Amino acid sequence: MKIAIACSLGLLLPIISRAQSNPVPKSGTIVQHNISLSGKIIDGKTLQPLEGAVVHIKGTTHEVQTNQQGDFFFRTGQKVPVIYQISALGYQLKEIYVDNPNAGNIPLTELSQQLNDVVVVGYDTRKRRDLTSAISSVKGADVVTLPVASFDAQLQGRAAGVQINSNTGVPGDGVFVRVRGTTSINADNNPLYIVDGVFINNTSLQTVSTGGRSASVLADLNPADIENIEVLKDASATAIYGSRGANGVVIITTKRGNYNTKARFNVDVSGGVAWAPKLWDLTTGPQHAELINEFYRNSLADAQAAGDAAGIAKYSYLPFRSKTDNPTATPAPRGLPSEQQTYDRLGEVFGNAGLQNYNLSLAGGNKETKYYIGGGFAKQESILKPMAFDRVSFKLNLDQRVNDRITVGTSNSFSRSYRNQGRAGDGPQGGLLQAALHTPTYLPEVNADGTPARWAGFDNVQVLLNNYDVNTTSLRYIGNLYLDATILPDLKFRSTFSLDYDNYNESEYWNNQTQLGAAPTNGLATSAITQNTAWINEQTLSYRKRLGTNHFLGILVGNTLQSNTIAVTSAQGTGFASNSYKNISSAATRIAGQTWTKVNLASFFSRIDYNYAGKYYLEASFRADGSSKFGDDTKWGYFPAVGASWRIKEESFLKNDNRISDLKVRASYGITGNQAGIDNFASQGLWSGGFGYPDGSSGDQPGTAPQQLSNLNLQWERTSQANAGLDLGLLDGRINLTADFYYKYTNNVLLRLPVAGVTGFGNINSNAGEISNKGYEIGINTINVAGKSFRWSSNLTISGNKNRIEKLPTPIYQYNRDWIIMQEGSPMYSFWLYRQLGVDAKTGNVIFEGAQNGKLPVSARQVMGNAMPKFFGGFSNSFSWKGFDLGVLFSFQYGNDVYNLNKFFGEGGGTRDANRVLMADQLNRWQKPGDVTDVPRLTAYGLNYTIDQNSRFLEDGSFLRLKQVSLSYTVPKSLSQRLRISQLRVYVIGSNLWLLTNYTGPDPEANVTSIQTVQGLDLGTPPQPRSVQAGINLTL
Amino acid sequence: MNSFIKYSSILAIAITLLSCKKFLDVKPQDSVSDEQTIVDKTSAQTALRGTYRKLAADGYYGSLFQTFGYLPGDNVQWTGSQSVIQQFITHNIQADNGNLATVWSAIYATINSANHVITKVPLVKDATFTTDDRNQIVGEALFIRALSYFDLARTWGNVQITLTPTLTATDKDDTRQSTQEQVYAQALADLNAAEPLLKAPATPNPVRANLETVWALKARWYLYRGQWSDAATYASKVLTNLKNYQLQQPYSAFFAPASTVATKESVLELSYSATYTNGHRNYWQPPANGGTRQWAPADALVTLLNDPKVGGNRSALIAKTSAGLWYGNLYYRSPATDPTYLIRIAELYLIYAEALAQQNRPADALLPLNAIRVRAGLDPFSNPDKAAVLQAIENERRVEFALEPHRWFDLVRTNRAGAVLGVTDVNKYLFPIPAQEVRLSNGKLTQNLGY
Repeated sequence: MKIAIACSLGLLLPIISRAQSNPVPKSGTIVQHNISLSGKIIDGKTLQPLEGAVVHIKGTTHEVQTNQQGDFFFRTGQKVPVIYQISALGYQLKEIYVDNPNAGNIPLTELSQQLNDVVVVGYDTRKRRDLTSAISSVKGADVVTLPVASFDAQLQGRAAGVQINSNTGVPGDGVFVRVRGTTSINADNNPLYIVDGVFINNTSLQTVSTGGRSASVLADLNPADIENIEVLKDASATAIYGSRGANGVVIITTKRGNYNTKARFNVDVSGGVAWAPKLWDLTTGPQHAELINEFYRNSLADAQAAGDAAGIAKYSYLPFRSKTDNPTATPAPRGLPSEQQTYDRLGEVFGNAGLQNYNLSLAGGNKETKYYIGGGFAKQESILKPMAFDRVSFKLNLDQRVNDRITVGTSNSFSRSYRNQGRAGDGPQGGLLQAALHTPTYLPEVNADGTPARWAGFDNVQVLLNNYDVNTTSLRYIGNLYLDATILPDLKFRSTFSLDYDNYNESEYWNNQTQLGAAPTNGLATSAITQNTAWINEQTLSYRKRLGTNHFLGILVGNTLQSNTIAVTSAQGTGFASNSYKNISSAATRIAGQTWTKVNLASFFSRIDYNYAGKYYLEASFRADGSSKFGDDTKWGYFPAVGASWRIKEESFLKNDNRISDLKVRASYGITGNQAGIDNFASQGLWSGGFGYPDGSSGDQPGTAPQQLSNLNLQWERTSQANAGLDLGLLDGRINLTADFYYKYTNNVLLRLPVAGVTGFGNINSNAGEISNKGYEIGINTINVAGKSFRWSSNLTISGNKNRIEKLPTPIYQYNRDWIIMQEGSPMYSFWLYRQLGVDAKTGNVIFEGAQNGKLPVSARQVMGNAMPKFFGGFSNSFSWKGFDLGVLFSFQYGNDVYNLNKFFGEGGGTRDANRVLMADQLNRWQKPGDVTDVPRLTAYGLNYTIDQNSRFLEDGSFLRLKQVSLSYTVPKSLSQRLRISQLRVYVIGSNLWLLTNYTGPDPEANVTSIQTVQGLDLGTPPQPRSVQAGINLTL
Repeated sequence: MNSFIKYSSILAIAITLLSCKKFLDVKPQDSVSDEQTIVDKTSAQTALRGTYRKLAADGYYGSLFQTFGYLPGDNVQWTGSQSVIQQFITHNIQADNGNLATVWSAIYATINSANHVITKVPLVKDATFTTDDRNQIVGEALFIRALSYFDLARTWGNVQITLTPTLTATDKDDTRQSTQEQVYAQALADLNAAEPLLKAPATPNPVRANLETVWALKARWYLYRGQWSDAATYASKVLTNLKNYQLQQPYSAFFAPASTVATKESVLELSYSATYTNGHRNYWQPPANGGTRQWAPADALVTLLNDPKVGGNRSALIAKTSAGLWYGNLYYRSPATDPTYLIRIAELYLIYAEALAQQNRPADALLPLNAIRVRAGLDPFSNPDKAAVLQAIENERRVEFALEPHRWFDLVRTNRAGAVLGVTDVNKYLFPIPAQEVRLSNGKLTQNLGY
């Protein structure tokens, strides 16, 4: 800490001393002589003075500009009446007849609201028309409506270039987010999230297993506190964030009060219900039995044909035969197929889930102080019992003007997120959905003696539902303190100190009824407390000045220091006296663990922007980042960027053309870096102490062993990005189009490169690959009807991204059975499979491409299909009529593939017999010559059901989803005012009401794991819920 | 700007740059860098223990390497869903089988650990570190390396030999592939080097290697190489130390009850604890006992073990679930602290018997053979015909080491895999080198024939 303060002192000191040595001139009245004509130009809406407006007296050559106070003065012989022609950047040209020498306030109307929207950029704000870069904005109101815990999941279809995959229907779980594609293999691919200037942690802190997926730490933020969200996409926008900007930057601004406003109290209450729109089709008990018998019959025939004596013995008796038929033969008789029952376990674990949401806020301010106080409670049950998520949050934003030069303020959010978790994903033990979905339907839930039955390695569903005890409490504080000082009228200084602290407390108890805790384990308890502490100190100095008539200049310099520590303390106990004892201190065997890791980052940055008359814009930025992750020679990375735009609309030939209300072209190029996601000590050669050995002296003795190869040349991953964009407004702003095209190329990709086993190591942290992304983003806003009482507007976004691994020294395989491959020349998230060409209608045998004499060599395995879409986006429409507002949002993805692993396990052709369910699609198997189907003949022999990477389970995951429909009614002012309330609104929201897809599983947005290099493996996760909520919003 | 500001700025920048350098230097707390590992006696001992831990790791003698010895035999059947396991049982191993790669890496990681100890310990400057202590540590590391190369030789045959610690990723780029003969020779060379460094233990401590452990592995080495006289010599050297090594009565006494560790049955066993658990039980035990029963004793083995004239009291190796399914019960403890039984004295009896029979002394072989049979509660074997004795030894080894990693390697070394398992393609006697290793070796590794 001391070091850190010294490290930032360098920037502070000269500033402070300069502030002391230069007396600031008081902004005062400017004495004018011999004024004949005067007036004041103001914004028609905000009534704020407009500086730099050009006032021309019609029919003369006289022309002046307004000063900082919006005032203009003519010293002229002209006498009233005159006609002024007034033009100002972003405002409609105005002609006004004036007959008083002092014209008083002259309001101007904004050209188009959208162009003047204030957009948050790195360390500053801009009006949209002044941007040189590609930035998407989403209003806070758009991310509060869906029944998902975190705001990022609600961005789907709303922001061009931002790909969101929900991956699971569990509320509060992590979401797959990519801004302009995937740039890295082992370094983080998620965007940087900044909340009110705090770079927040977005890496899950989960340590206990929930089947491969992990909880999202972004769910700690209450979406209701968000004012707006900006997604910075191109290098010109992100390079100011240097090493943190390669995957895009998401800037979240929370709500604040306004000065001189009376307190507004807002209450929002909503409730609803969610359910699973579609589940899996399984075989019934009798169907399962028939299929297994058929499998035995066919296998026996094949064994006889092959002369396989062991096989003949194994398949001689049908398992589903009368219980009196050869009762001692193997397999034991299970009764005739017709005698089998069907047990619906899915129906037991899926059900209606309750949703509740309460938000209160109070905002206001006086001359010196403004405040926002918020409180919220949300509870979302999962459609998969017994999981649930709830969050209590508090928010306090406060700003205080100390004097007319200094403002201090603070942003604080504190939340407690509680998760009742379950294992929904991979792995049999404790796996809730797997136990319900993958246990054969004919197997009873209780044994003959009435005890709960466990089958095939899966837990008993009822036992799990009644004994599940896995939960997590996360206490999160995100906050900062800032000081703004106006050193000179054009020179501003800002210093912030921010903190992101998360205490993530997990506990897991598996009692002796569950598989994990059953005898001889006798109860298994895990407790883990993870503390993530990140602090950031930042100084910026910005200078913004209008030079002469048409030159606008801005300069920004700053520095940042960041430090992030993660400390985990964990304990595990086994051997409990009974299920009543749950604390690890009562366990017979106890193990403890502790880990600690830390990274520091120091940065210096600067930016200069210039525009000429609002026509020609130029911006350049430069950032230097030093990271403790790298060796001495490679610590510092340098990230420059430039951007330019030409606002053609301001040229004289377009200025007065009302058909084209805006036209701008933009271009940018820059380099960003990445070091997040890799181990904090990735470059060091390390020996670990975790290799003790009980060597006979007495118990465990400490031991050490090589853990990691050093790579002192390890360095920054660098992504260069070029962007070209076009903004076009037509018909007086009724149609607005934004199009961007980009090309990103990542060098020195950070990855754990496999090394030859002879070294004694598996891999080394390296900069070894190159990845490219190119794509487009198009956003179209239209105001279709703008009547007095009826208004209809639409918004369409379409984005496409093409990813390619340009260089990779060796292929890297992902997930069990290597279903996914990363290799040179293919895109990330490619599947690696054997291609099933079909099923021979004569024999019922599967036909694989590249099979040789009934064998399938590895060389036949090929890259096919990809989990990333060719394009994706959203289409939203909003209608308003009198007090009614209707919003309809569709989201879509096209061209992505999903590997249906639930089906892979459930269509095993009988090879897994009593160990796995058979899905209804298995009934389509080949039975007799002439059958045309892609499901091969049931047998244990040949390739029909013995290839784990069969392309038959690769499916088209394209979808069109009616993501959201919201309808609200605002009670007329006349009525609400009589009730002494300023606004009263009631609403209903439906989510995920309709889904169009060819995918045969319940939901194509599914992925079994949170591993960032794996997508599109559908196993064991619940589908997105369908929900309906109703609510009321009241403002006093 | 006055001079005060100028100089204060320069000073500030200087302080800034210096302190930034410190700020950006963060050291881990649960690991240390390469240079600080073996610097004195204590750190040499911890590095040796780390080498044992590597030997005992899940990928090596914890579970996966052991499966290489029993899955391809005829004692185990596949009950799980993963074809990586099935490939071993059906003798159809693909070069991209994940377990092949895991075991390969685990063995070389053990070798690298051993290489650090062997290379660095003699150079340590520590006056309190006596020559005897150094010799013992280096000797044990040499033994572990010998065992590693022995296992590489019998599994893959033609592998790379490396005798130096790996310090950078490119250190081993030029390591050529050796032949199976050369790899076996390296194992023997390491054993020969270890022999003079180690002492016979004053009290038995089978969880670490000593002089007698070296002799035991030498006996096995000579048996595999068909050098019967040496095999007999080294086996008898260990067998005669009745103070340290004895067959336990009954058979199950070397692994049950659950508190049983380091009995006199063991010449070398690897020890585990609640912290360092042995995952092996998980594959064998049924779900009711918290395992997965990924594989199970084959019907034929169940019949043999339950036959009082064949299995005798060795039927304790298997147990039955309430649903009537048999499972292996050699690894069963909770927490999972089951030792790995690496060399049992029973093996030396049978090595001795086989070596004598092969030297045309079948009648003499009956004595050690029957020691095993009698311990199992069986009648002595009395037919002194050489072929009959050798067959009896083969049969005995099958049940005596039913769930230990011997059956496949035994059938291969005696050239009986064709007759017993129907594996007639001799190329399959060696496993394929992991496809990834061939690819990563820059042409240094050539795939074994037939794959």
